[in-house]
Amino acid sequence: MLVQQLANGIAVGSVYALISLGLTMVYGILRILHIAHAGIYALGAYTGWFAFRLVGEFWLSLFIGMAGSALAGYLIERFLYSPLLHLPRIAPLIVSIGLFTAMEETFRIVAGPHTLTYNAKIGIGDLSLGNFKLTETQLLILIVTFLILIILWVILSRTRTGLAMRACAMDAETASSFGVNVKAIVAINFLIGSAMAGAAGVLIGVYDNQVWPTMGSIPAYKALAIVVLGGLGNIPGTVLASFVVGMAETFFIGILAIPFPRDAVAFVAMILVLMFRPYGLLGKG
Amino acid sequence: MGKNFGIGAFVLGLSIFLATGMVFSQETIKIGFFAPITGPAAADGTSAKNAVELGLKEVNETGGIRGKKVELIIYDDRLNPQEAVAIANKLIEKDKVIGVVSGSYSGPTRVTAPIFQKAQIPMVVGYAVHPDVTWDPKEKKPNDFIFRNGFLGEVEGAAAAEFAVKNLKAKRISIIFMDNDFGRAISSGFAERAEKLGATILTRQMYKFPGEKDFRPYLTRIKEGNPDLIFAAGYYNEAASIVRQAKELGITAQIMGEEGFDSPKFLEIAGPAAEGVIIATNLDRDDPRPLVQNFLKNYRKTYNEDADMVGASSYDAFMILVEAIRKAGTDPKAIQKALLETKDYNGLTGKISRFIQGEVVKPVQIQIVKEGKFRRLGVVDNIEVITPPPKK
Amino acid sequence: MVSGYLITILITITIYAMLAHSLNIITGRAGQISLGHSAFFGIGAYTSALFYTGAGLSFWLSVPLGTIISGIVGALLGIPCLRVRDDFLAITTMGIVFVVEAVFLYIPFFGGAMGVGGIDPPKWFGREMSKPEYFILLLIVLILLLFFDRRLERSWIGLAWSSIREDEMAAGTMGVDIVRFKVIAFILGSAIAGLAGGFYAHFLTFIMPQNFGFGQSIVILCMVVFGGIGTRWGPILGAIILGILPEISRPIMEYRTFLYGLLLVAMMRFQPGGLLGEESLLVKFFNSVGSSVRGKRIIKNASRS
Repeated sequence: MLVQQLANGIAVGSVYALISLGLTMVYGILRILHIAHAGIYALGAYTGWFAFRLVGEFWLSLFIGMAGSALAGYLIERFLYSPLLHLPRIAPLIVSIGLFTAMEETFRIVAGPHTLTYNAKIGIGDLSLGNFKLTETQLLILIVTFLILIILWVILSRTRTGLAMRACAMDAETASSFGVNVKAIVAINFLIGSAMAGAAGVLIGVYDNQVWPTMGSIPAYKALAIVVLGGLGNIPGTVLASFVVGMAETFFIGILAIPFPRDAVAFVAMILVLMFRPYGLLGKG
Repeated sequence: MGKNFGIGAFVLGLSIFLATGMVFSQETIKIGFFAPITGPAAADGTSAKNAVELGLKEVNETGGIRGKKVELIIYDDRLNPQEAVAIANKLIEKDKVIGVVSGSYSGPTRVTAPIFQKAQIPMVVGYAVHPDVTWDPKEKKPNDFIFRNGFLGEVEGAAAAEFAVKNLKAKRISIIFMDNDFGRAISSGFAERAEKLGATILTRQMYKFPGEKDFRPYLTRIKEGNPDLIFAAGYYNEAASIVRQAKELGITAQIMGEEGFDSPKFLEIAGPAAEGVIIATNLDRDDPRPLVQNFLKNYRKTYNEDADMVGASSYDAFMILVEAIRKAGTDPKAIQKALLETKDYNGLTGKISRFIQGEVVKPVQIQIVKEGKFRRLGVVDNIEVITPPPKK
Repeated sequence: MVSGYLITILITITIYAMLAHSLNIITGRAGQISLGHSAFFGIGAYTSALFYTGAGLSFWLSVPLGTIISGIVGALLGIPCLRVRDDFLAITTMGIVFVVEAVFLYIPFFGGAMGVGGIDPPKWFGREMSKPEYFILLLIVLILLLFFDRRLERSWIGLAWSSIREDEMAAGTMGVDIVRFKVIAFILGSAIAGLAGGFYAHFLTFIMPQNFGFGQSIVILCMVVFGGIGTRWGPILGAIILGILPEISRPIMEYRTFLYGLLLVAMMRFQPGGLLGEESLLVKFFNSVGSSVRGKRIIKNASRS
């Protein structure tokens, strides 16, 4: 049972990581609480679903879902956030909240209030080792997350763009004075972060076989807790925090069997950690 | 002359306009309806609204009530209790409805019940389950203007247990339910009856609603206990996830659900994993009565999707009210009296023998999923089980 | 006779105005973004509901007790929360909502998922207060709160808050006890939210944990920012407009929630200070009207003498 619960926790943690990473990248560079990120996540699921209905091929629909989310993320940054950056941070926060509400309602109006099914054939098969079992969709989540994390790591640590991204996240002004095109870097952050959220949306859509208008409402706040837990803007910290929360939830429910709402676990963990490490798990002052 | 003619025409026009307005307002019978049409529960709200509008069309196409057309006044409550309070007052004072149908959840229905009770406007509730909708906990007496077409959670749970233990011979049972009023009521009704009939409850787990999608931790724990039946309470999204994930984990125990499973969406999302799942509900799709078959057919034709339990229950609530108006006329008190006297009413969701303290008495349907469809498996009509327990 | 429908909306708006006003003390005056305000609203509502139904205290005692307890919890939660970096405060306070909601939902003492029912409207002079009377009571309380706010702004507490808001570091080096003044704002804001909660419970007569979820916090915050954060009348105006909006938009049922979201986006995009905030077009308009009126009056007075 322990091993099985471990696998369950890792799968959940992977999806949290994909959603939260985008959020932490946006935060790291713009210092905006980007609630609408969860709308981007749902948009990825809807775009992927629609593409899947048109072409019937899962991997292509995953790609289209990511592209749709990336585009939406870019447009939001370009037309909504960037004109508000000189203002107190509460202004973009409200824009983000309003946008998220409008997006959820758009999904409902366009695609109907009922849940859509995303019943894709992936073609990698289950993985069984004795009593322990990873289903096809769990395996899919692990593979895609792993690939995306590797690509992200390569971009950040092996390319000039990645260097510029890290420099901007540390101190955008100084980076700008060294000739970094901050505007372009911000756009790249949004594109990559949103594409990851879109991937998470598609993966969850397939994992649960469900795509529905308010699917983003829980990730909207849970991802924020994870991001804070990891140390806002800190990429390795966010990955670590995602798996910690995924595991903690699974163990709370499946092993300790304490009747405690799952969503509160992330926040309790966050508050406890902040008491001892005010900048999050891997955050630095 | 010309000038006088103009004034005359104006006066004439105005009086025709006013007269038609008056005739119009005299000729319609106004019924209020509220449901969560936007926001997080929009799927159920839309089902309820669609089904009731279908009922409205049927009533008006067959000549209305006593020659008068029925006008349905629809409001969206967004699952928000403050909005529901405003809606209730608006329906009573501005729209002057003579009866109300609730197509909403417990929260909005529970806050509006005392308002309709006080104004003495009868309300028939489609599927909201909170026990105090029909009961005034302060005065310890029934809200005698409120009637519920759906089962009390306890009753449906007990009926499910009756079938599980007596017919399916379940001895070792695990329960998983959502943490809202419906989940709690139905699971405690189930557990109580099952234990009374001699079964053992191995685990009782509660999950967060709304929002829970990953039931693997719960199910992995259930699997350890090796039960022969799992009773799961939830709405169709969660239900489908439970059933799918149980299958994934190789759980072979019989899964039994309740009316929340009763939606074509459950079948669609769960896919082959739904096969063999048994549910306790109030809609029997194999019911040969033309009323049932026509409803299912018309719903499909009008909305291009299959009807669900929420829709069927709301449709019934509307029709029960219409029937009472037919009998008693347009005085709300007379309508309430007719509702109190309801006897052997032939409803879409079964034959209603009567209302006790506003709670419906009708058999509980047991359905099984066969080849991707809900089919009749049995009926629980043991009077001891389906009679709502007296409130105190 | 006044319509009960209208009164219901007016009462709802007045309660929201109190909430918006109380959040404005924390977010507008002291500059601390809180997404946890609905928790204190809920604590006030539950405390006063349980003192009323459980302990049998009257409305006139249960509501003040709810206010006090909400303020105390505000202090207990505020002190650790305000220690964290300011970026984290918004999210930490959001965490409070989930924890408090879980307590209401999972501890049977608080009524759990069934909520708390049987909370009556208040009584006075030996009879139940009518809806219009209740509204007038709430309105008087709101006016008193605003009057108090005016006094507060001009006191040393108000000065300390504005120094923290403008430049926390500078205020600290000048010797302003930052944490202490932030906590004062948190206590005051939480207590007033608790007061609004008590009024809400006795108005709805039935409360459930879901009424005080994260969404409610967002609604309150939007009212504050929409009207003009940090101003006295802005949050009140925000509560009025965003409170009426769902009612007047009933005819476009399907689209009203969508429009609500869009309106927030448009407002912040083109008028980020809020209706009555900095660079407010509305204020400019009224100032120009006001100055022209004043101008005419001066001319009139001058011509008279």
